[in-house]
Amino acid sequence: MRDEQTLETDSGLETVLERESTLTNGQHDPDAESNCSASEFAGQDLVIGYPSSDEPVINRESIHVMPGEVTALVGPNGSGKSTLLKGLADQLALEDGTIMLDGKDIHSLKTKELARELGLLSQENVSPNSISVEELVGHGRYPHRGFFDSLTDEDRRAIDRAISLAGVDHLREREVGSLSGGQKQLVWIAMVLAQETNVLLLDEPTTFLDLHHQLEVMEIVETLRDQSDITVVVVLHDIDQAARYADHMVALKDGSIYANGSPEEVVTEGLLADVFEIDADVQPTERGPQITPIRPRHDDDDDQDSTETGTDTESSPDNATKTDR
Amino acid sequence: MAGEPVTETTTTTRRERWLDWFDGSLITLCLGSIAVIVAGGLIQVSFGAFSMSIVQAWQAVFNPEVIFNVRAWEAFLLGADVPEMNTQSLIVWNIRLPRVFVGILVGMNLAVSGAIFQAVTRNELASPFILGVSSGAGLMILLTLVVFGGLAAFLPLIASVGGALAFLIVYAIAWKNGTSPVRLVLAGVIVGTVFGSLQTALFFFADDIGVVQSAIAWTTGSLTGTDWDQVRMALPWTAVAMLLALISSRQMNVLLLGENTAKSLGMSVEKVRFALSGVAVLAAAASIAVAGIVGFVGLIVPHMVRNIVGSNYKKLVIGCIFAGPALMVAADVGARLGMAVIAGSDTQIPVGIVTGLIGGPYFLYLMRRQDKMGEI
Repeated sequence: MRDEQTLETDSGLETVLERESTLTNGQHDPDAESNCSASEFAGQDLVIGYPSSDEPVINRESIHVMPGEVTALVGPNGSGKSTLLKGLADQLALEDGTIMLDGKDIHSLKTKELARELGLLSQENVSPNSISVEELVGHGRYPHRGFFDSLTDEDRRAIDRAISLAGVDHLREREVGSLSGGQKQLVWIAMVLAQETNVLLLDEPTTFLDLHHQLEVMEIVETLRDQSDITVVVVLHDIDQAARYADHMVALKDGSIYANGSPEEVVTEGLLADVFEIDADVQPTERGPQITPIRPRHDDDDDQDSTETGTDTESSPDNATKTDR
Repeated sequence: MAGEPVTETTTTTRRERWLDWFDGSLITLCLGSIAVIVAGGLIQVSFGAFSMSIVQAWQAVFNPEVIFNVRAWEAFLLGADVPEMNTQSLIVWNIRLPRVFVGILVGMNLAVSGAIFQAVTRNELASPFILGVSSGAGLMILLTLVVFGGLAAFLPLIASVGGALAFLIVYAIAWKNGTSPVRLVLAGVIVGTVFGSLQTALFFFADDIGVVQSAIAWTTGSLTGTDWDQVRMALPWTAVAMLLALISSRQMNVLLLGENTAKSLGMSVEKVRFALSGVAVLAAAASIAVAGIVGFVGLIVPHMVRNIVGSNYKKLVIGCIFAGPALMVAADVGARLGMAVIAGSDTQIPVGIVTGLIGGPYFLYLMRRQDKMGEI
């Protein structure tokens, strides 16, 4: 089993390289390149909650997503990052606020129009076991098809592009039920890519995956940023991953946006202490800030906290040495 | 000029796609089902109260004077006067064959109705009966027979209205900022229980045993005494329902991906669910109107077909259109002739009893064999 895994890794890398070369060789038609600029996507004064509870999870927050870049939403469990994403994707009804996509309120769009502009990969996905990978990816073309339309050549090209971009060519004929969790996730990403939207929202796409498939997923996100104008918003559980792959980070705590900026600005020892309630060591590297978590903080650490936040980052190495002892 | 090769490749891929649907298992299923229907039909026409030899009966079935007679078909399908033909042909074509045709239509409707309800609720235990359709229809039938005896002529129509009403009630109960598959099934159970109790209560008010028997025949489902009238009544609705089911198979495939995915793909999930349920109620009502409430067919046929062709609804609906009639015709052979074989009596039993006797053990077998049942 383990041998297979490493073999897979090698071939996986190859396909990524191949993928990248095909992309640069003209995956984009020049037409699209010239007139297509990245989508503006922003939410204003959002109040989002679940029908079952009175208190909204997100209370009057605004978020402006950088066009054509990758924005990561991070935060501890229950901080509202997935809720915010669902609200942005119109999966949860807004109690208040507006979401603008290229200057239009998304609630003024028909459901299919919206699905042509904005794609969402949910955290948990279900499909019948006997469906083939190609069929599943083909469902991504749903918003582009009328009730009676069969697949057009354009649809097939989009499906092919999505399958090769997600690196699941070799799985094409397989039944989804026979795939591993990581492979399934890549197939689901291919389905969302086949939707060919300008904005892509991913809800914890790497959670529960092995490292190989986590990296596969993040490579796809990276490719999307480098090779296309797609605006990506991704909820990530792993703040390390977010710091490495995102252009922008938004940190949430208790349903409000705590910090917002480049990974270097957001990932600081102070923020990790305040938002994630951990002591950690943050080292700047070529691949973005790297975090070494040290220990969880508890309520009785708060006194220290208040004295230390004054001196902010300088004090934290002390913290680290203290715990090292 | 330049366009030609392109269209050529398109048509070949189209053809390939078309063939894709009709893969080996689906073709085998369809051919097998047709074989069962033909065999069951021939058995049905060969035996009965009017004695004739098997050869005579089969000659009557393939009698070219009937098959190629436009006036005969006008009589059968449009209700005109039946032209003159020999006695054997008259018996076979006017009494024995229509029952087979009604069985075919009922089987088709129930199987497709079940398949649609299973997609709508994403639950393979769903059927027209779980979602309250049958209990609503049954209650209305009993009310008509026991209380409003004068309306018995409109029984099929009343039964269908009852089924549709019950489903609307179920939908309303399940609705809370949208419905969910689980809430639909639970609401169906609630409505079914209440209506079931009311049905039992009504039995106490029945005046004579004849009414009770007639009511039981309706609520267990029977093809006894059906003729071209019933074919004429069910055929148009069946055609509409089957057509709608076939063209909306892609919507059902997307529904199977779950509500969130379907919604993020731009489907108006509630609208599609409601419309599909409407088609399923139409199909179920068409069958209830002519045969009463035949249980289990809507539950096990989609299940059997799914095991053979997979869960792609493009194939599943086609498979159900063939396999449903096969089960129904075979079960009706048992219902009409079974007692004669077992006990030597001429009594016919309602076909719903036979389908129940087949369906129960089949489900038991599935339960033992599969670890996980319920979700598609």
